[in-house]
Amino acid sequence: MGTMLIQCQDVWKNYGSQNALKGLNLQLESGKIVGLLGPNGSGKTTLIKILNGLLKPNHGMVLIDGQEPGSYTKSIISYLPDKPYFAGWMRVSDLFDLFGDFYEDFDREKADHMCRALQIDEKLRMKTLSKGTKEKVQLILVMSRKAKLYLLDEPIAGVDPAARDYILTTILNNYNPEGTVFISTHLISDVERVLDEVVFIRNGQVVFQELVDNIREKEGKSVDELFREVFRTVPFEGGVW
Amino acid sequence: MLGKLIKYDMKSMSRAFIPMWILAPVVAMMLSFSIRGTIAWANSSAIGNMISVGNGLLMAIMVLLFVAAIIGLFVMTVMFVIQRFWNGLLKEEGYLMFTLPVKTWELIVSKALTATLVSSISIAVGVFSGVILAVLSTEEVVRTMAMWWEYVFSSIIKVGPMFWLNVVLSILLMILGTASNIYHTYAAMALGHLFQGHKVAGACVSYIVISVVFSIVGSIANAILSLFLPDDWMHYMISSSYSMVGRLGMIYLLYLLLCSTIQLIIYHVITERILSTRLNLE
Repeated sequence: MGTMLIQCQDVWKNYGSQNALKGLNLQLESGKIVGLLGPNGSGKTTLIKILNGLLKPNHGMVLIDGQEPGSYTKSIISYLPDKPYFAGWMRVSDLFDLFGDFYEDFDREKADHMCRALQIDEKLRMKTLSKGTKEKVQLILVMSRKAKLYLLDEPIAGVDPAARDYILTTILNNYNPEGTVFISTHLISDVERVLDEVVFIRNGQVVFQELVDNIREKEGKSVDELFREVFRTVPFEGGVW
Repeated sequence: MLGKLIKYDMKSMSRAFIPMWILAPVVAMMLSFSIRGTIAWANSSAIGNMISVGNGLLMAIMVLLFVAAIIGLFVMTVMFVIQRFWNGLLKEEGYLMFTLPVKTWELIVSKALTATLVSSISIAVGVFSGVILAVLSTEEVVRTMAMWWEYVFSSIIKVGPMFWLNVVLSILLMILGTASNIYHTYAAMALGHLFQGHKVAGACVSYIVISVVFSIVGSIANAILSLFLPDDWMHYMISSSYSMVGRLGMIYLLYLLLCSTIQLIIYHVITERILSTRLNLE
């Protein structure tokens, strides 16, 4: 049994009159790959941003490794956002320098190696790279850290199946085994094979949390099947899908 | 960590400005030589009078172009200062900056210091370019400036060392005033980012509201201060000795420095508190 890495208690977050999180409770241990699974608009990105400190909750307690989001928690979190966050003028090598300057756990050699393997020229400016290459650079930056917590927000959304395999393999081959990987996605079948545990989120609340092995043993279903069951919606004008 | 942040902010800002800082004095120099040549040609020509009318127009256009270039430099500086904060902290790039293991105040101070430095250099370049244009254009300007400097120099001797102290205080006030204005826009943008859906409009409204509030507070402070001055203080100033004028000038500059410092601190606290406790990078 690992130590508790993430603790969220009665977390609320609203955007104007709309509630994105409604009293969310969650506890996650170290040393696991956990899937944060839920349909679009369920609050996955909001939760990940709150864990990162990019959003402040309206109410509730959030602790990462026993501390509220701040300088310390940012030093142990490696975050992959759902969109590119680079300044266009920066070269790939500038980003590596920046990460090397600010994160003690950043492995420059590993980043250089991954760049060479993917045939990305470090001298190129970010604005000249294609969307796919930008995403690869972002993944290299995140996975070249030996972080305690990896927060990956929709890492495989919007890419083709071959790229999905590549991304998931990169994550599996490069994450710190002592840390936790928290992957948000709604593409369950693609990530299922890499997950140790799943958290289902709906309407801003955790509705289910279980080890993947237990789901298979107890429920006799795959995570994908269980997800479809839990999040089944009735089609317009009825009928069975 | 602050030093590292400043290094990256400087890299980001200087990239766009260094070419302009070099270009402005060079343009001023070329323009002044062009003016000098035109005047010399008009004077030596047999139909000098007729040509000089045309040349006068040409020179006026060139001077206008130069002024437009200098205004452009300042507008670009202002836009760049705003954009570096807005895009760098409150848009997508903020995802990177706010996930770095640094304190929020370090992010703000780094941006403010860099922006103040860039703005101060831009102002200095603008003034320097103007001086180059004036000095190199015509002998007349040089002669006028020499006479003016003679007058200033004689006044300096009368005021004494207090003059130089006031010069230093004035430069300090200019830098602090620039920083305070930059922080004013930061506070407005931080407030604007709290608005749901209309963040830019919110920032503009916040800027105006802050200006009005500080203007009212400033007027009240000045009114209270004037109660402690003698009724005929203006007359007193005019009839005072040079050394007294220097001393009064110093007191006034110190008062302005204090006002700018207070404003700057208030703006910083507003910005830091909002981004620390109410950050919303949606």
